[in-house]
Amino acid sequence: MNYILDGLRQALALLSGGDPETFSAVWTTLVVTLEAMAATLVLGAPAGFFLGYTEFPGKRLIRLVVETFLSFPTVVIGLVVYAFVSRRGPLGEWGLLFTVPGMAVGLTILGLPIVIALTAQAVENLDPRLRPTLLTLGAGPRQVFFATLGEARFGLLLAATAAFGRIFSEIGISMMLGGNIKWSTRTITTAIALETGKGEFATGIALGIVLMIIALAVNMTAAAFRRRSAA
Amino acid sequence: MSALYVLTDVVQCYGDREVLRLPSLAVAEGVILGLAGPNGGGKSTLLRLLAFLETPVAGEIHYRGAPTVGREYALRGEVTCFPQEPYLLKRSVRANVGFGLTARGARDVRDRVEEALTMVGLDPGRFAGRMWHELSGGEVKRVALAARLALRPRVLLLDEPTANLDRDSAELVRRAVVAARERHGTTLVISGHDHAWLRAICDDILWLRDGTLAAPLFADGHAWPETAEQTNTVARNVS
Repeated sequence: MNYILDGLRQALALLSGGDPETFSAVWTTLVVTLEAMAATLVLGAPAGFFLGYTEFPGKRLIRLVVETFLSFPTVVIGLVVYAFVSRRGPLGEWGLLFTVPGMAVGLTILGLPIVIALTAQAVENLDPRLRPTLLTLGAGPRQVFFATLGEARFGLLLAATAAFGRIFSEIGISMMLGGNIKWSTRTITTAIALETGKGEFATGIALGIVLMIIALAVNMTAAAFRRRSAA
Repeated sequence: MSALYVLTDVVQCYGDREVLRLPSLAVAEGVILGLAGPNGGGKSTLLRLLAFLETPVAGEIHYRGAPTVGREYALRGEVTCFPQEPYLLKRSVRANVGFGLTARGARDVRDRVEEALTMVGLDPGRFAGRMWHELSGGEVKRVALAARLALRPRVLLLDEPTANLDRDSAELVRRAVVAARERHGTTLVISGHDHAWLRAICDDILWLRDGTLAAPLFADGHAWPETAEQTNTVARNVS
């Protein structure tokens, strides 16, 4: 039991002392999560809106594919993206392997199905009176799009929170595409795995604490927003 | 007065079911036209067609002398519809009433929102800041009506505006729509089951049953001129 308590004590010392190696991993995690979330939302929210709002042939098949991707193993995503961006791969010349943007690409692929599926569901569940209301108030196509997304904002928030949870705590993709390079692509999760493997519990625990605090803060902010505007 | 709408051989179907067939109908500018008749008679369908929310499967609708197909978005700028069960956006009362004005790039949004709220008997000071879920059923309807009145439409179509409203609210709705006509010359087409209410406010009443124009079933419904053509009744106002 003692070595765990010792680890915790040392972890708090690392955090309060601002240990550069620990905070480098935290910073990389924040950057890669932000990049991946931005790409996921920019691509996924309109795609989910389209999927939920319109009827077209093959829609059910696309939904099935999207929902299958929800349970795609992260190491397989890592493997596929690796194959594409590695030096011999078709996108090899972009030099994405073992870089933060390269990790963000993999994490975006992880987050996209979540945002697409949940946005589509949120849009489908909107009141059928919404569209005629917007049209009769004189809204054009762009205004209908943004007002509809606005009405689905709680569903979108749920989609974003779910995607964040998945992307932020992910390890397989980060490890394979980032390579866990110290000061560069080492994230909180890959660092924990490495430090634990080396028997360095203190750093692992310190990073684990940071991971949970950030996750808690994000979810509390989302919940507060929902409470404030839904009441 | 000139004809605002002219409908020729208009047919509307939902799936295989024919819900409306109007050989000929004209609506004059500036009238208050009532639509009466049983549920499922075609009143709401006719209103949706007049609101350019639907396109008929056959026939033609002319609005101010020109065909409407392909111009729906532009035309919805001057024609607006108040549905049976209005929907409020998940926003404040002010944002709801101002939505259409903002969408159309109006400048004096704040003043017109307050004017419209006053017209439906809601004190802007008390109500403008409320959220959509802080309203009673009658207040929801009046806020939705204010959102239409704020647009100062040329045509306001109302689908059973007083259904499920208490007497005071129904009276407030009546005053608001009459004020719209008096202030802005708005043409009103109003469907409803409250015949006394319709008779008190309308210049003419059309009876729709089984998707077509019909004489009233009950003599005390609306005095139906024996000699009038069953179609084209309002065309009297046209010539």
